[in-house]
Amino acid sequence: MGKNINEIKNEALKELESVADVNSIKELSIRYLGRKGIITQFLRNLSNLPKDERPAAGKEANHVKIFLDEQFKNAIKRLESKSIDSGLKIDVSLPGRPSVQGSMHPISEITRQICDIFTRLGFSVVEGPEVETDFYNFEALNIPKNHPARDMQDTFYISENIVLRTHTSPTQPRTMEKQDPPVRIIAPGKVYRCDSDVTHTPMFNQVEGLFVDKDVSFGDLKGILTMFIHQMFDSETSLRFRPSFFPFTEPSAEVDIRCVMCKGSGCRVCSQTGWLEILGAGMVHPAVFENIGYDTSVYTGFAFGMGVERIAMLKYEIDDTRKFFENDIRFLRQF
Amino acid sequence: MKVSLSWLKEYAAVEMETKALADAFTMAGLEVDAVTERYEYLDNIVVGHITGISPHPNADRLQLCEVDVGNRTVSVVCGAQNVKEDIFVPVALPGASLPNGVVIGKNIIRGQHSEGMICSDVEMGIGSDSSGIKILEGVLSAGMKLSEAINISDTIIEIDLTPNRSDCLSIIGVAREAAAFNLSKVKYPEITLPDSQDNIQKFTSVKVENPELCPRYAARLIFDIKVGPSPFWLQDRLMSIGMRPINNIVDITNFVMMETGQPLHAFDYDRLAENRIVVRCAKNGEKFTTLDQKERSLTNEMLMICDGEKPVAIGGVMGGLNSEIDESTTRVLLESAYFNPISIRKTSKALGLNTDATHRFERGVDPDGTIRAINRASQLIAELGGGLLIDGIIDHRKGPVKKCLIPLNVKDTNRLLGTNFDLKIIKGLLQSIEFKVEPKDEYSIDVYPPSFRVDILRPEDLMEEVARLSGYNNIPVTFPQASGESKKPSKTPVERNRIKSIMLGFGFTEVINYSFIHKLSCDHLNFHPDDPKRNMVEILNPLTEDQTVMRTSLVPGVLGTMNLNISQQTRNLKIFEIGKIFLNNDEDSLPEEIEMVSGLWTGSCHDASWHSTEKQCDFYDIKGVLEGMFNTLKIENITFTKTPEKSLTFTKTGYSADVYIENELIGIVGEVDQQVLSTFGLKQKAFVFELNLDSLLGLIPDTISSKPVPKYPAVFRDSTIIIDNNIEATSIKNHIDLLKEDLVESIRIFDIYEGEPISKGNKSISFRITYRSSVETLEDDYVSKLHKNITYNLVKKLDATLPGDQ
Repeated sequence: MGKNINEIKNEALKELESVADVNSIKELSIRYLGRKGIITQFLRNLSNLPKDERPAAGKEANHVKIFLDEQFKNAIKRLESKSIDSGLKIDVSLPGRPSVQGSMHPISEITRQICDIFTRLGFSVVEGPEVETDFYNFEALNIPKNHPARDMQDTFYISENIVLRTHTSPTQPRTMEKQDPPVRIIAPGKVYRCDSDVTHTPMFNQVEGLFVDKDVSFGDLKGILTMFIHQMFDSETSLRFRPSFFPFTEPSAEVDIRCVMCKGSGCRVCSQTGWLEILGAGMVHPAVFENIGYDTSVYTGFAFGMGVERIAMLKYEIDDTRKFFENDIRFLRQF
Repeated sequence: MKVSLSWLKEYAAVEMETKALADAFTMAGLEVDAVTERYEYLDNIVVGHITGISPHPNADRLQLCEVDVGNRTVSVVCGAQNVKEDIFVPVALPGASLPNGVVIGKNIIRGQHSEGMICSDVEMGIGSDSSGIKILEGVLSAGMKLSEAINISDTIIEIDLTPNRSDCLSIIGVAREAAAFNLSKVKYPEITLPDSQDNIQKFTSVKVENPELCPRYAARLIFDIKVGPSPFWLQDRLMSIGMRPINNIVDITNFVMMETGQPLHAFDYDRLAENRIVVRCAKNGEKFTTLDQKERSLTNEMLMICDGEKPVAIGGVMGGLNSEIDESTTRVLLESAYFNPISIRKTSKALGLNTDATHRFERGVDPDGTIRAINRASQLIAELGGGLLIDGIIDHRKGPVKKCLIPLNVKDTNRLLGTNFDLKIIKGLLQSIEFKVEPKDEYSIDVYPPSFRVDILRPEDLMEEVARLSGYNNIPVTFPQASGESKKPSKTPVERNRIKSIMLGFGFTEVINYSFIHKLSCDHLNFHPDDPKRNMVEILNPLTEDQTVMRTSLVPGVLGTMNLNISQQTRNLKIFEIGKIFLNNDEDSLPEEIEMVSGLWTGSCHDASWHSTEKQCDFYDIKGVLEGMFNTLKIENITFTKTPEKSLTFTKTGYSADVYIENELIGIVGEVDQQVLSTFGLKQKAFVFELNLDSLLGLIPDTISSKPVPKYPAVFRDSTIIIDNNIEATSIKNHIDLLKEDLVESIRIFDIYEGEPISKGNKSISFRITYRSSVETLEDDYVSKLHKNITYNLVKKLDATLPGDQ
């Protein structure tokens, strides 16, 4: 007997590879599988084999027959579908029909990112009124009337006892008065100060955080804020904590990060200092707890606040804070 | 607070480089804003060697000097008498700017070129000699920098002090911090009073009528003084930190204030009626002219320093013109007092008068520093003003300053800070800034803060000092032992973000406008006179005219945004805003804050392109946005009804719909009225909506229960009917709904037509009804019959006709 069945199969496949039109494949199919085809011949010749080898050889040859038949048919299908497509001409360089999404305002986007990081850390989002009583905005935060600390914030007044909140900090006493410790909140929102220039808009956005529990320490504050900065910027960003003053925290700190523009070598953005002031923080002042009625011998806590515009400006390299509220669509569409 | 480094070094040994010192201040809580070289302006003044002198051809008093300035020789016209050949002199070269404001250029003086100026001490701001040019001595060479030749330098450090650190509102105060950096102590100036005569009691008296507003008032008398300019060193000290010298007496009070932090005031003793002092409150409406020559109107809350008849100073704020020290003054009454900080602040605010004195008094001066400061000033006046100190001091006070004792526990300290300090370390740190520490037991100490640290009241204040001095950055980073509990996220922020995402998906870009708007905005939007949205919250101290009230609608904001963008040539806009509006209740309670969502669509839906022509957006586009939003939020039972004529505001008649959900009015959608558009400077058609987001959020279902997907196929049947133009399309659906035919799954209008051959006043509406049964496949015949019935019913109810009937 001549070639074995596998040799035939390989030859057939090789030939199939070398042809590129439907007719040639059909011819090929007939030459192998037709009534007088090579495989058919091969099957017929099986009777020449010893009786005990016939069933195995027959089975193998039939497999090859079926296999090749499929290969030929598939090849024809492929070619046919190609020839149908090539009938339609498209110009892939033409713009597609647009599906256009809008853009989230950069302030909303950054606020969302900040809140997301803290909610992953177990904080809950709370919100408070933007028009606030003098009590929650100042008094409950240990800023009595006629205290020089009131100069730190230029306040818009509605009446003697009602103000536009100057910070998101009133959410601290508002939350604590409704809830016993543990408290873990994050409070984003608009705040207002009577100040307007390249670096100040009369309305801006802050995010406040408050964490009260047993044995919460300044070290913990450093830990949480370090984790936050590493997620918000990158894990290479170093932080420094400087003593500062807020009437509602003691000790108080300003937190600087290594300048994200120059990485600390000094540039215009960081006024050559290599550091950027990014948030204010501290341990909740015992007077604030006393106002609320929390037991200061059991509970300690930390609070922090940050300006959303400041972070957005750094993340997106925006140089003028007024751009956020001009709403020029060419600016907003970049985000 | 500006600090001259050379001045500071009089009291504290500074070992650090300037930059390191500035950093150390910042890290100790005294944030350094700027570090500047005081004599930078001297950089353009060089040592010149006069190689030749000739008379000025056109001016007798001037001479022409050839001056070697190192790299070249320049000619300089000089008028000084003491100029001569072969001396070294300071030459200000073109470009130099002198402290008196003169900028040196290349000039022609009486026809002769002059390339610079030979300077005197006064001109350079480095001395008081103005009699002639400065002649430099020592080992010098032409061209060297003047600052090297005379070895002059000073650094000015500007510190942005937090309001709690009133103790650092003085050079000594800052020096104390600097001394603590290298664990040394401040060297306080030695005060030795000159010989004194007579007795102060003979000449004056002090009566304090309001001791609670003026707990301490001390006075001294100095006679036979001669008022005149201060010596240069004193003027120089004041100038170094930006103060203007006035005369020796005033300069000394200012100097002592800057040195010690205690504001002082000097009165002309002879201008005090009855030569005595009465401290009392002003009368309401009383007028008083302060040193700055402004007449002030007083109230009975303001503490005044008076003589036997009238006020002579606003206590702790500013002196009066009527008792000012001038050249004729020979006898001085010196005041050093402690005023109530709140009273000072109130007065200062009420008068709009912030002075160096009020800044210190309202933050709290050292209650124990009164006497030291008055003695220091007396010593200097006697030394520099040539005066005679009258023996004795009047020290009027409520009682000795109470020593403040604060117990501090080591464990509590470490618990709050997350540190591991032992008692010895804590003690050492506190002692380094003059706190007195008495050990109590193994874990606790009694701490007496120095009198100048008026901010230290509680153990936590001490803990901050410990943290500050050991360095915040040395406190180990730890993580809180958080409880495992976690709260369900609050609905509002989550759903609000969802609505934002939906709007973004529909191609709307988010904008954020100011919450305050123009007072006339309600008029601009045509709000009715009794519309509750006219109850606006007014800002008492607005920054600008167009930011005087809190908004009661987001629409002015989005229309303003449209205006800005059209002015920037962006004519196609899809924007939305989510924010609060504020409805005023009454004066004393907080306004109602309602969160709203507003959207605006103007211009074309899409630009003309290779695949389609341009299409302008219209009412149905923006209505579709709302329907899409409600659909995504799974809010049902929505109806859009034509806004009644009488309640129309900013939307156009006939092009406006009220949006109801479950019969609750939650907003409006429509085309903006032409008049309103033009008020906002707009011409182009715009479509807006404004919805109450708070209501909307309440209508979002908390859960979704799924229904089975239909098993059997639907059958579709189309019909066209002709009805009166005024009948709303929705009546078709409403009527079919009323039939309560279970097999009707949905109704969709697919064509509206007006015009030939439809008679005038009518329109044809084509709709498709989808029929489906949940239990079987519907028979064609059955559906056809049903559809015919429904159509017939409709024709009857709506007084319609079928197309063939006409």
